[in-house]
Amino acid sequence: MQNADHKPRRAEGKNNRSLFRRTIFLMAVLGIGIFLPLIGQLYKLQIVEHSQWEERAANQQTKSVSVAASRGAIYDREGRTLAMSATVYKLILNPMTIYSSVSKDDYKDEDGKLDEAAYEKALYDLRKTIVDGIVDLFGYDEERLWTRIERISSGYEVLYYELEEEDAEKAREFISKNKLSVGLQLTPSSKRYYPYSSIGSHVLGYMGQTETSGENKVGKSGVELGYEDALSGELGRVVTSVNGRSQDMISGYEMYFDAQNGYNVYLTIDERIQAMLEQTLAEGIETYDVQAGAFGLAIDPQTGAVLAMASSPDFDPNNWGTILSEELQAQVDEVAAEYGDDSQEANDAWKEAWNKQMRNRTLDETYEPGSVFKPITVAIGLEEGIISLDSTYYCGGSKKFPGVNDPINCHKKGGHGEQDLTKAVGNSCNVALMDIAEQIGAETTWKYWNDFGLREKTGIDLSGEEKGIFWTEDHFKSINASLELATSSFGQRFKVTPLEMITAFAAVINGGHLFQPYVVQTISDGDNNTVFYHEVQEVRQVISESTSEKMRGILESVVANDSGHNAYQIGYRIGGKTGTSELLDRKNEPGYNNDVMCSFMGFAPADDPQVLVLLVYDTPKRSGPGSSSTAGGTYISGGNIAAPMAGALIADILDYMGIEKQYSGDELAGADTLMPYVVGNELTVAKTIIQNSGFECRTIGTGNTVTHQVPSAGVSIPGGSNVILYLGDEVPNAQVETPDLSGMSPTAAKSKLEETGLFMRATGVVDYTDPTVVMAAQSVGAGTMVSPGTVVEVRFVSSVAYGDLNG
Amino acid sequence: MARKAKRDLTIEQQLARGPIDLPFLALVMLLTAVGLIMLLSASYASAMYNLDPAVNTKGDPLYYFKRQFGFAILGVVAMFVISKIDYQHFRWMSVFVLGASIVLMALVFVPGIGRAVGDARRWIKLGPITFQPSEIAKIGVIMFFAARLSKRNSQLGPPKKWSKRTFTGRMAARLDRVGLLELIPYGMVLVVVLGIIALQKHMSCMILVTAAAASVLLVAGVSLGWFVAGGVVIGAALWFIITQTDYMKARIDIWQNPLSDLQHGGYQPWQGRIAIGSGGLLGVGLGNSRQKYLFLPEEHNDYIFPIVCEELGMVGACVIMALFALLIIRGFWLALHARDRFGTLLVVGITSLTAFQTFFNIAVVTGVVPPTGISLPFFSYGGTALAIQLAEMGMVLSVSRQIAAPKAE
Repeated sequence: MQNADHKPRRAEGKNNRSLFRRTIFLMAVLGIGIFLPLIGQLYKLQIVEHSQWEERAANQQTKSVSVAASRGAIYDREGRTLAMSATVYKLILNPMTIYSSVSKDDYKDEDGKLDEAAYEKALYDLRKTIVDGIVDLFGYDEERLWTRIERISSGYEVLYYELEEEDAEKAREFISKNKLSVGLQLTPSSKRYYPYSSIGSHVLGYMGQTETSGENKVGKSGVELGYEDALSGELGRVVTSVNGRSQDMISGYEMYFDAQNGYNVYLTIDERIQAMLEQTLAEGIETYDVQAGAFGLAIDPQTGAVLAMASSPDFDPNNWGTILSEELQAQVDEVAAEYGDDSQEANDAWKEAWNKQMRNRTLDETYEPGSVFKPITVAIGLEEGIISLDSTYYCGGSKKFPGVNDPINCHKKGGHGEQDLTKAVGNSCNVALMDIAEQIGAETTWKYWNDFGLREKTGIDLSGEEKGIFWTEDHFKSINASLELATSSFGQRFKVTPLEMITAFAAVINGGHLFQPYVVQTISDGDNNTVFYHEVQEVRQVISESTSEKMRGILESVVANDSGHNAYQIGYRIGGKTGTSELLDRKNEPGYNNDVMCSFMGFAPADDPQVLVLLVYDTPKRSGPGSSSTAGGTYISGGNIAAPMAGALIADILDYMGIEKQYSGDELAGADTLMPYVVGNELTVAKTIIQNSGFECRTIGTGNTVTHQVPSAGVSIPGGSNVILYLGDEVPNAQVETPDLSGMSPTAAKSKLEETGLFMRATGVVDYTDPTVVMAAQSVGAGTMVSPGTVVEVRFVSSVAYGDLNG
Repeated sequence: MARKAKRDLTIEQQLARGPIDLPFLALVMLLTAVGLIMLLSASYASAMYNLDPAVNTKGDPLYYFKRQFGFAILGVVAMFVISKIDYQHFRWMSVFVLGASIVLMALVFVPGIGRAVGDARRWIKLGPITFQPSEIAKIGVIMFFAARLSKRNSQLGPPKKWSKRTFTGRMAARLDRVGLLELIPYGMVLVVVLGIIALQKHMSCMILVTAAAASVLLVAGVSLGWFVAGGVVIGAALWFIITQTDYMKARIDIWQNPLSDLQHGGYQPWQGRIAIGSGGLLGVGLGNSRQKYLFLPEEHNDYIFPIVCEELGMVGACVIMALFALLIIRGFWLALHARDRFGTLLVVGITSLTAFQTFFNIAVVTGVVPPTGISLPFFSYGGTALAIQLAEMGMVLSVSRQIAAPKAE
């Protein structure tokens, strides 16, 4: 092996040992050593950190598509559906896949040269099919669709968000017929419907997108916002396995997590009462040419449950992006016509109008309550024992304050003279109230304001609530604040929200309990299991039951005898207080003309209040500068504008609630009675039966036996009505014409109707002796043909000017 | 050609007909078979989706497997043919292999023959075959070093007499004594080969060539001081490159935290680690990898091992690493028992090369060392690389034939 010609440079043995050692060394390092760190690293990745890597793998290897949960419905207290969700479909265009579905490879010849024209044409044809189809089916703007379909970097162009089933079916047909499923997709989503459109819109709120909600719509106001979590439920998910390009794997697994549907919410609101309230607001606005809207509340004073809550102008939650009120839209159009449709001015005008219609003024606006506040002051005095029902007050027309030049006037220049407490409230006498406040003092007044919850939010379960604006406590209690104390006694120069006002007023009449108002009574799941029930929340007892009882008496008298008389309804024991608030903070606005808010706070029945209503009309238009009445001749005050509307509303609500009427002795004569059956009787017998039932009668024809009667037996007509008995061959006319009763007194109207064979049910201020009481409205229009015996409801009001404005 | 009777053969020729080492052969065949199966599993998805723009698989999921299988057969045949060659012939062949590889590597830069992917020019295309000439350079360097170093003690002629009169003569004598002069030819070969590979921007290949050459030099008995010196020089150079150049710094950052820059290189290591980590102890099962579905790029090339880890788990990965370890240990065992110094050095070089390549590939994909592109022997896709690998195994088997059988008791 070795060539021995040369002497080895180094000893052969030593050399071989070195070679052996070094080879063994390499064998150890490369055969074993290098694998140790590798195994260590594998142990770290695969065993120690396994779960986190597995999670990362699962995250990218699966795609989770959310499945919308069905949103819960909103019902009123009687179970009427106020808001519900239904499935609609999103039509999504995918310009990217449309573009890539036409492959350039298909238009290359053998040398790989692209036939540009053929490729372009194929792409154009495909796009044209889609564009033509969509334009044809749904009338999409063609030009715009071409722009969108050419956005090849976009894979998600939503053409329609809410296609209803019918349209979706058409789209499905179109897609499958033309095999366009790569470029057009329909995905289900949900749409909110409000079957009663604008009724209760401010309570219900509306659904829209927010910055964080993405394409999903969430509640943006009202109950929809406040109860979003309960209503929305939980999204479900479909998990599918995908490859690195997020495409579904052909043989991948799928997993479903069911969506948890939202809960149903039952409100304290009654749709019928809500509709009545809104109707009353609308009527008042129309009748009295009210300029700045109106708002109103109806609550159950025994619990704080809100029965109705309305603010006008309002909106349609189905279509909240448009201005609902024609007047507001007309104002916007006017600005647009002047400055151009796209001008800043037009946009601002639109925005202002929109903001107006979205506001729930019953809780997000404060106002000076005016004389409606007087019962609070009186209740404080009675509760503290400072005044009593026997206290008397003298009003000389104004009250002077030391160090102040101008005295504060009562609304009646000549003064109310000597009056007891009940009469002072009935007269809405400012001087008497200022005297009472002076007796009570700032310290006690302030304490009770806190107790009545006027200085804090009521805590109603609706968002956007404001709270009252008052002087600072230090100032109000200081010696310099005698004027503030005086004006505050009749509800001026401080502000509360209408909701705070009605909540405090409820405490005055319900036995002294201040309740937290609320709109959601129960929340239940899909199987009707109740998951939430609102227990009545009493914040505190403010005044005693006996004080409250006295207040009910005083307030019933206000309606029965004095400034609230226009709210009077036969058979309904209504109590209440009128108010006319100055709007001094609008003094510098253009068009200011001694603007006032006319309000009425009323409740019934007076002995056990079931409903408490507040109506406020903002700025009825005066017939001219300095005029004290509307163009229609109605004196502008709470007593003349709000009270009659409120009286009718309360009567309607009580009827609807099925609360039995209570008649006083006088009223009983006019109460509805059932007509007995007298046909076939002899005339004398029949007359006795009729008179025993509380009716009068007249006869037509000759003979001794009654052959016909008007009205028929079993019909309910007001007592004292003059029924008609037919004798012999006489028969009643088939139809009679309803007479025009305009301007008539109750007596005249009654006889006019009975002449034609009709009967009158008088409502409102029915005082047959008072010459100022005149007809205001009749339920059956003049000239209408009706059957004889029909009862025509006629509403009367007092035309006396019920002033209750200070100064 | 009729086979000569044994008696007509020289002793040398008789030795060359000895039995090949069956354990080593078995390990090679086992690794080749397992490698093919894993390649089939790993490449299935990207072949089906026709991902690589340079390759048109026509959507055939077996495309890569079929090609690799063909080369594997070719490689096994080459392995047996080469194992039949008396390895002493490799001594003279070494010069030609090295020379040819240098010429081929130069051809990479000739337009029309050379092919570039990105800014790396490493491939040449000869007919239907595309391959990296640097693969041949690796074995060329090993063969040349082994052939020359095996004559270090005996066949390099008498020690040169340096003139003691001149200064240069005295200097040369001193350098000769410390062993620098004998390293000069090796150094020159390495400088030329590494220089060309550097021009190809093939960092990983430079590492492998250097490591394999160093292994041969070490075993050949070159003074340990030179390895210390070389280690210091390389260490200093690495330190400079890592800390002073933005390119390497970025790579180091990505190595430490792949998430820091998923756009520029972090994505692949990250996906590789997801594959490894999600495999767990027992894996998701052969063929069930999810990461190969377009998540992990190069999953059938350099990043095949993560797919192995994902499908077979830590247990399967360790079994495969054990096969590599056994192959390496058996390789060194053969080196120790080789008939002569050349055989020892040749087998040490080839085995070390395989070991380093295995280590660096797995170390890169598991994140032990910074990312660099090294394929896994027997597993990664690349027909010519597999064939050359098997041919190298054939050389080892050829050496094994001449190991004397243990004397009978």
